[in-house]
Amino acid sequence: MKVLSKQRLETALNKLSEAAEVFVPMQKGGQSGFFSWQSFKNEQDELMLDNLNVYQSPKGVVLPQTEKMYGIKTQGVEINIDQVYEDDHPTLIFGARACDVKGILAMDEVFLTRGYEDNFYKARRSNNVIIAHACYTPGDNCFCYAMEVNPVDPAGADVIIRDSGDVYVWETQSEKGEAVTAQISDLLEDKDVKLPELGSFKIDVDYTGVAEKLKTMFDHPLWDKISEPCSNCGICTYVCPSCYCFDIQVKMWGDEGYRFRAWDSCMYEEYSREAGGGNPRGAAKERFRQRFLHKLEFFQERYGTPLCTGCGRCMVVCPNDINIVRIIDAVKEAEVND
Amino acid sequence: MKEITNKIQEIATRLFNEDQVDVFLAWEQTGEEYRVKPYFARSAADVSNIVFNEYCIHNLSTSLLKFRDGSDRIGLVVKGCDSRGIVRLLEDLQIKRERLYIVGVPCTGMKDPLAAARNQSGFNNKMQTIDIARKCLDCIQPNPVIYDELIGPENPPLLQGERFAKVKEIENMSADERYQYFEDVLSTCIRCYACRQVCVACDCRTCIFDEMKPQWVGRETNVTDNMMYHIVRASHMAGRCIECGECERVCPVNIPLMLINQKLIKDVNDLFGPYEAGMQYVEGAKPALSRYDEKDPDDFL
Repeated sequence: MKVLSKQRLETALNKLSEAAEVFVPMQKGGQSGFFSWQSFKNEQDELMLDNLNVYQSPKGVVLPQTEKMYGIKTQGVEINIDQVYEDDHPTLIFGARACDVKGILAMDEVFLTRGYEDNFYKARRSNNVIIAHACYTPGDNCFCYAMEVNPVDPAGADVIIRDSGDVYVWETQSEKGEAVTAQISDLLEDKDVKLPELGSFKIDVDYTGVAEKLKTMFDHPLWDKISEPCSNCGICTYVCPSCYCFDIQVKMWGDEGYRFRAWDSCMYEEYSREAGGGNPRGAAKERFRQRFLHKLEFFQERYGTPLCTGCGRCMVVCPNDINIVRIIDAVKEAEVND
Repeated sequence: MKEITNKIQEIATRLFNEDQVDVFLAWEQTGEEYRVKPYFARSAADVSNIVFNEYCIHNLSTSLLKFRDGSDRIGLVVKGCDSRGIVRLLEDLQIKRERLYIVGVPCTGMKDPLAAARNQSGFNNKMQTIDIARKCLDCIQPNPVIYDELIGPENPPLLQGERFAKVKEIENMSADERYQYFEDVLSTCIRCYACRQVCVACDCRTCIFDEMKPQWVGRETNVTDNMMYHIVRASHMAGRCIECGECERVCPVNIPLMLINQKLIKDVNDLFGPYEAGMQYVEGAKPALSRYDEKDPDDFL
């Protein structure tokens, strides 16, 4: 098998950075997420490849939190689009876990299938390569196995790396992956190493039948109870590897400006406010319910897979201990009147 | 802690049985010791779910905002800082005193459940110490300032050393250094608004940041819009922040929000004081900056 010595990791990242902007998991000051390798400063930042994961998922590489779409100039009643900011510079995500790769696959469904292609997303994604990091030691909050994710063989990866002591085993998975492998081929060696075995998950949860059951539970009293502690902030949606909702807005200075899109959160009152002032999800409970129905029911209905990838981030960062696993359990246990 | 739990359960049961409250706000444990969340008991039957342990750090006075439009009579448990939050809401006319039955718990400093969750997550390589939450080390008021019933003896403040040491450090920077410092820390904000949502002083019905017509603050995550958000929010806190530190505790990118709040606390005290927000409830009293006096400093006009 092909392996990359860990001693050569930085050389490999430098080399890969010649052809693409490489995003790696790091701790950067108070932030923990995927950041550009070019921004890595030895004395301040820390590479987090050996950790289970980082707080902010790599989704921002293909769907940035804020992205300019096009520039506008107005002349009287005439409006001219004077610039389109489609960004197709090559990017490479290095070391994403299977749950996070699944998040990007979910966004592929949304932005590239069912008869509509989002040009901005497509431009980024077609020039994006994913090097996934096989996961053998599930953490305390991990339950990807229950959400159709295989932690050891991440679907959708162009290359899979596997940690085996001093080396990463390097497995090419796609044509894009072959190009990347060729780029660093002089750093790879042939060596047979032992692969770790997948450890056991501490969380025992079963998603089977949940989407179906939720169809009958829109008005269930369960939502009142479980949404009570939620303070309706947006942390869970922003650290989530698969939450993709955005808003499109305009900034104008006199007769010039630009249109941009920015992540939005179903937890915010403004998110579902209509032009006339009405709001179908004016109450906190309704917004809370929307998030979990989207994760566990609506996405499953439309795309045949849940929108939760079992990464466990929301359960770590929630200020009020809202826990999606307990919600799945509660749904399974709930009594429903036919 | 077990004794306090028992006492809280006893009081809550009595309040339900005597029909003095419709809901009782406390905490519930959902897993490991640090898995604690705000819990709203609705009847005596729910009371056995209530716990009080050293991770019950959440400021429950903020939860009162969920009830401000109703007529429910509410019992709740507060520590020193949380009780100042109640004073905040009473002064802001958000809730009536007679709707509340306040159970005070003198605080010895809490542990941070988020820090514990982070340590357990596998996302951190450096373990944070969870002996005592960082916010509690700045505590000047561990004992409830308003209550109907107090559980246990009062405790001394936890603050050691100078109160505004870090603020003074920043004040001593040059203007450029200071700007750079705040640009650095605020540029990382992801605009999740968790700091606003957990803040008891953020009791506006419609937040300025949610307004669209006009849109006061842009929705881009960049230094300009982020600074606008944080500076406007901070100035709304002047004379109103009760120093519970929840904003900084919940921030997922570790922005030192209390540093900004403490600067305002210090300035309000120096310029309009002596003043300390939410330290006592006097009916009709107003926060420092919410009334006008002809003697107010106006040199800047």
